Parts: sequence; C-alpha cells; structure tokens
Amino acid sequence: MAGVLIEMRGAILRRSVSYHGASGSRGRLIGGLLLALFVTLLAVGTLLAGLVHYHYPGAGAAVVATLSFGWLLGWVTGPLLTGDDATLRMDYFKLLPIPARKLAFAMLGAAFANISLVFSLIAFAALIALGAQSGAAAALTGVAATLLNLVLAVVASTVSIAVFGPAISSRRGRDFGTFVLALVITLLSLASGLVPFVAKRLTGGHSPALTAVVKILPSGWGAVAVDAAGRSDWGLAGLALGGLVVLIGVLVLAWPPLLTRRLTMSTRGGGGRAGHARREREPILPSTPLGAVIGKELRMYSRSVLRSVMLMIAFLVGVLAAVIPAFSGKTTGLPFAGLLFTVIAAACFTNFYGDDGTSLWLTLVTPGAARPDVRGRVWAWFLVTGPAGFLLTVVLTAASGQTWSWPWVLAAEPALVIGAAGLLALIGVRSVNGPAPDGGPAPARVLKTHLALVALPIVTVAPAAALLAAGTATHDVALRWLAVPVGLAWGGYLCWRSVRLAQQRLESQGPEIFARARASVS
Amino acid sequence: MDNGDNVPALEFAGLVKRFGDNVAVDHVDLTVPAGSFFGLVGPNGAGKTTSLSMAVGLLRPDGGTVRIFGRDVWADPVAAKALIGVLPDGMALPDRLSGREVLLYLGLLRGMPREVVAERADELLQVLELDGAEGTAVVDYSTGMRKKITLATALLHNPRLLLLDEPFEAVDPVSAATVRTILRRFVARGGSVIFSSHVMALVERLCDHVAVIAKGTVVASGPLDEVRGGQPLEDAFVDIVGARTGGAEGLTWLAS
Repeated sequence: MAGVLIEMRGAILRRSVSYHGASGSRGRLIGGLLLALFVTLLAVGTLLAGLVHYHYPGAGAAVVATLSFGWLLGWVTGPLLTGDDATLRMDYFKLLPIPARKLAFAMLGAAFANISLVFSLIAFAALIALGAQSGAAAALTGVAATLLNLVLAVVASTVSIAVFGPAISSRRGRDFGTFVLALVITLLSLASGLVPFVAKRLTGGHSPALTAVVKILPSGWGAVAVDAAGRSDWGLAGLALGGLVVLIGVLVLAWPPLLTRRLTMSTRGGGGRAGHARREREPILPSTPLGAVIGKELRMYSRSVLRSVMLMIAFLVGVLAAVIPAFSGKTTGLPFAGLLFTVIAAACFTNFYGDDGTSLWLTLVTPGAARPDVRGRVWAWFLVTGPAGFLLTVVLTAASGQTWSWPWVLAAEPALVIGAAGLLALIGVRSVNGPAPDGGPAPARVLKTHLALVALPIVTVAPAAALLAAGTATHDVALRWLAVPVGLAWGGYLCWRSVRLAQQRLESQGPEIFARARASVS
Repeated sequence: MDNGDNVPALEFAGLVKRFGDNVAVDHVDLTVPAGSFFGLVGPNGAGKTTSLSMAVGLLRPDGGTVRIFGRDVWADPVAAKALIGVLPDGMALPDRLSGREVLLYLGLLRGMPREVVAERADELLQVLELDGAEGTAVVDYSTGMRKKITLATALLHNPRLLLLDEPFEAVDPVSAATVRTILRRFVARGGSVIFSSHVMALVERLCDHVAVIAKGTVVASGPLDEVRGGQPLEDAFVDIVGARTGGAEGLTWLAS
C-alpha cells in the first residue's frame, strides 16, 4: 500500500509541476531552484562543520548537535509552514475502509519517498565527518547516528502533521503557520548576527549550559554518541544511539492512534474570542464614519495574526538589527532603529485592499464610504506605527550617545511616517494583489513589499536628506536643523496629496479594485 | 424622485456584461415592481450573480443602465446605494470582528447615530439568533451564521430594496424560517425584495414575481402564476430553459 501512496504522490507532484509549467510560472521554477541551491549550501555547510577541528574538547560535538537541532526543527515545523501535506492530504483517506494501522504504516512508508532526505543525508553526514576525526570506530558510529537521525526526522515530521494537522487545516491554524514562518524568517535574517555569537560561546567552552542543552536534546544524541565513541566511551555511545532507537520506536507506536484521531476529528478552528464585553465601554473614537473605520482597523491590527506578525517582524528586525551590533560596542546604528522599524512596517502594509480580499464589497455598497475608508486606514496605520517609531527613535538615539544624529533622525522619522501613511493608501488602491490560491501572499505582493522597502524611504526622506547632506558637507548646523521642518512639511504634503488621489481612485474605480482584490480568491 | 408605486424598485435596461469572449449578461431588461417579492432563478452560470453585482455597484456593466427607484446606480451611486441592502454570495466580512462589531462599524460608516445602531444591532442579533455567539469573531462563524450576519448588515439601515444572492444557502431550517418571516414582514410593510435561488420550492412559496435567466438573457418574467402557467415552477423552469434532465442512462451496475 505504501507503493500505491508513493505512486499517488508522484502523480500529484508531476501534475502540479506540469500545471505550473503550462501556466508559464517561471518565477516559481526559479524560486524552487534557488531554494534547492540554498538548502544544498546549508547541507554542505553543515557537513563541513563536522570536519572542523576545535581546540576545546567536545566543541565539535556541540556544534554538530546544534546544527542537527536546526535540521530536525526544520522537519518538525515544516508541516506547520506549508500546511498539511499537499500531495497526500489526510482528507483523501477519511472515507476509505482501510484499517487505521495499515494506513498509518503505509503513510509512514510513503513519507520516506521524499527528496528532502538527500539534503538531510548530506547534512547529517557531518556526524560521520565528526567521527572520522577520531578514527574508524567513531566514523562507523557516525554512520549509525546519521541513519537514525534521518529516520527520526521523517517519523517526527509525520507525527507532527497528526498533532498539528487539525490546527493547521483551519483558518486560524494558518495564522499560526504564518506566525511560525515569520518567526523563522526573522530569526534567519538576524542569524548573521547571532550565529557567530552562539558559535563563539560553544566552541570556546564559554557556555557549559548551552552546550549541555544542545547535547541533552534528542537532536544532540547522535553527536554525543560519536563524541563518546571517539573517546572509546562505549557505554555512553550505546546509550545515546539506543535512546534514538527507543524514541523512534515510541513515535512509530504513537502514530496510528494519532492518525485515527486526526482522521476522525473536525478541522474547524477553536472558538476565538472577539469583542469580549457584552456592554461596550465608553467609545474613545468619534461616532462618525471616519471613527468607525479607524476603530475597525485598530481591531484588525490587534486581532489579525497576519497584521500582528508583520508589525512584529518590523519591530524585531528594526530593533535587533540596531541592538545586536551595540553588544559589541557599535552604537552607530541605534538612532536608526525607529526608522528601520517604520520602513518595514510601511512596506508590509502596501496592500491594504488586496489583503482584505472581498470584504471591500461593504465599502462599495455603502454610499459615501470611500472617503472615510481611505482616511481611516491611513489614520489607523499611523496610530499603530507612528508613536512606536517615534519613541524608538528618541529613546535609542538618546541611549546611543550619538548626538550628531539628532537632526538626521528628527528630520527623517516624521517625514517617513507621515509621508508613508499617505503613500500606503495610494499604493493600496493603485496596485491591488489578491491572495494566492492557497491563501498566502501572492508573489507580486511580496515583490511590491521589497520595492516599497527601498522606494518609500527615498521618496519621503529625499528633501530632508539633501539638506542634511549639504549641511554636513558645509559644516552648516542651521542647514542640518532646517531639514526637520522641511521633512515634516514634505511628509505632510505627500500624505495629503496621496490620500486625496487614493480616495478619488477608490470612488471612481471601486469595482475594478474589487475585481483585482478577489482575482485570486477561488 | 417619485416615491409612488409606479416607480419600479429595480430596473435593468439593456444590461450587458462581457468577460473576454463570454457574454455573461446579454441585454437584460427586467423590472422589479416596488413592493414585490421577486425571485430570480436560473441554471448555474446563467448570469444571476453577475446581474445582481451590477445592480449594487460591485461590477461595472459594459452597457445598459440599472435604476433603483429611478436613481441610476452608476450615474448617481450615492442616492441609489442609500436605498438598498445587499447580501452577496460568498464575500468576506472584516472577519476578526464580532457580529455586533461588524454591525456597529457599518452603521457608523453609514452615518447613523451610535445609539440607533446599538439598539438595532441588539435586536437583529437576537432575532437572527446570533446573540449566543456574542464574543465570537466572524472568522469562526459557520457558513449559515455568516449568511445571517450579512443579512443583518443588509437590514441595519432599513433599506427600501433588498438584493439577496442565495440568501438561504447553508442556512439551517429553523433559521431559514426566521429569515423568511423577516423578509415577508419587510415586504408586507412596503419593502421590496429581489433574491436569487436554485430552490424552486422556496421561490414558489415566497415570491409574487419571478424571472428566469438563462445564458445571460431573461427568458421569462412576470407574476409567479403567469410564469409557471399552471404547473409547478420546477417543471415550468425545465420547460422554459429547455434543459434536459439526465440520470436515466448507464450505471446499470449501481445497486444491482
């Protein structure tokens, strides 16, 4: 039966490849190749890490254990990111009269027909490389550990689908997946700062606690076994490898009952709460159309996971990118954390109408709603990001002691946040990207976000930056401070003009914007 | 504008919509008299949803006009849209809001006083039996509950004409009875309703007027009894659209 499932998976994959080929989606193909290249580099990098010799005893094992943790984490969280296995969806088997045990083991078998195993094999082979440093016996232990890690990866990944599957098949569950994905992307983007830091602590023996943690986790057992074999500590090596075998056994035995639960339960999301209070509080916002839109938008910012995640990414990347170098005494970046946060927060929200999908119909059937709708969205974004960006800028500039930067940040931050607020509305009505068929962001939307990351600061800050540069070049303090009111005025003008244009476009082109917002919604 | 009975609630004149080579709505002329309960029936893909979308300002026609109580929807949208309540099929709502918050948002967006909106929202949630899901976000509503909260958004501002696309789909029988009663009361007090449906029995039970759309054109329209010509609407429908009902051939192995 595993053979039937592997054949089925192959057929679905071929179909989806030829479908995308037929639709001329070369971007997807190139994206796939780039991903494969990236993963290959990661795998080879991991393998090479196993060959490095460190002076500190046991450092090599700690490094390989940490890297194995990364790979196993990828296997377990993979289903969370990509949703249920898209090729062999469990729902296909719900109604078939096949005993759960038989189906469970067949699915487990089919899970081994996975191209990702090649990459993981290269990566886990770091254990063999690590062992080879201490002789043939340790290298052989490395072979066993590599194979056990591979089996553990597949089994743990399959089981994680059963555990998280019901959640990730629901709308709210996809939110959770988005959240994890965002966290991973954020951490990866900050890895360049963090990895050397962690590596230094591990390889120099500065952090026994960290070393102990990465070795005690099951992902570290393989490395522990190889390390022990290298020291001819056969008892520990056997214990570590035996531990892996037992863990795999437990997961395999747990899998059929978990699958049964997965197949028989509903995939509807749990009851999320909204608007807890039966009697509402005294309203803070005015009871006007504009107040209504601002209120609705602020609620969406606090309750929509997609929106919170985008804000979280902006905050983490903005702050950490400036703060991490500050640990090593480089405080030049600190004053600009607020600006970076604001730029990312702006770029993420350049798709107001596309991200809301078909709910634009409410605005279109309500007479005179276009004006408050555009203005309310701009106000809400400004209220969410403006104070945070300003506070970050002021606090971190003061903390950095970089006094030269005050005119720079005080000119740039208001120009950026006010100007961008208006531009977001204009970009939102001019370029509408509906969600991709799977509910995620469409490639064009991602591209737009990247372009906006570059374009928004250039457009909003250019006049102030010109004055700042001129003032710096001529050592003219007055000219530098003149950039502050000029920045404010330019931001204000951009906002006023863009909001007007956006509103006119929504009024005159509402149905066309609506058609594009729903274009990819099936 | 005239508020008298002789101005139709809704009037399509020469309405055309093309999607590429496909003519989805082909010169449709249709009049929905004021005060009528009007059923729009037709096979899948006949152009019902496309026509209703053009009537409420969601889809721009390629030709022709739509008037609501004499106001041109596309030339004078604010006046026309003030008179209608809309329930589209399968459209999203601001789904992280609770039902009450959606109603409050829409009422204020229409410029209604907060107290009036709050009072009507209370009543609508109660009558439509959504008050039990007080703290639930719309994203967690069932399909039937979404229909009901969307219907509440259509009723909130007390429109003169309701345009409802498949209002009874996925609604449970008890709620459907509630919705029928609300709509009957609305019509009895002078309101007008046009709704699309696949369910002939429902149209027969509720409507005094009916139009049959097939392949983008109106093939029959008028008072219910006139259109069905003494036979059940379902039979009349099959005759009118010239469809052939399949299912009698092949499958000899089934239940043999």
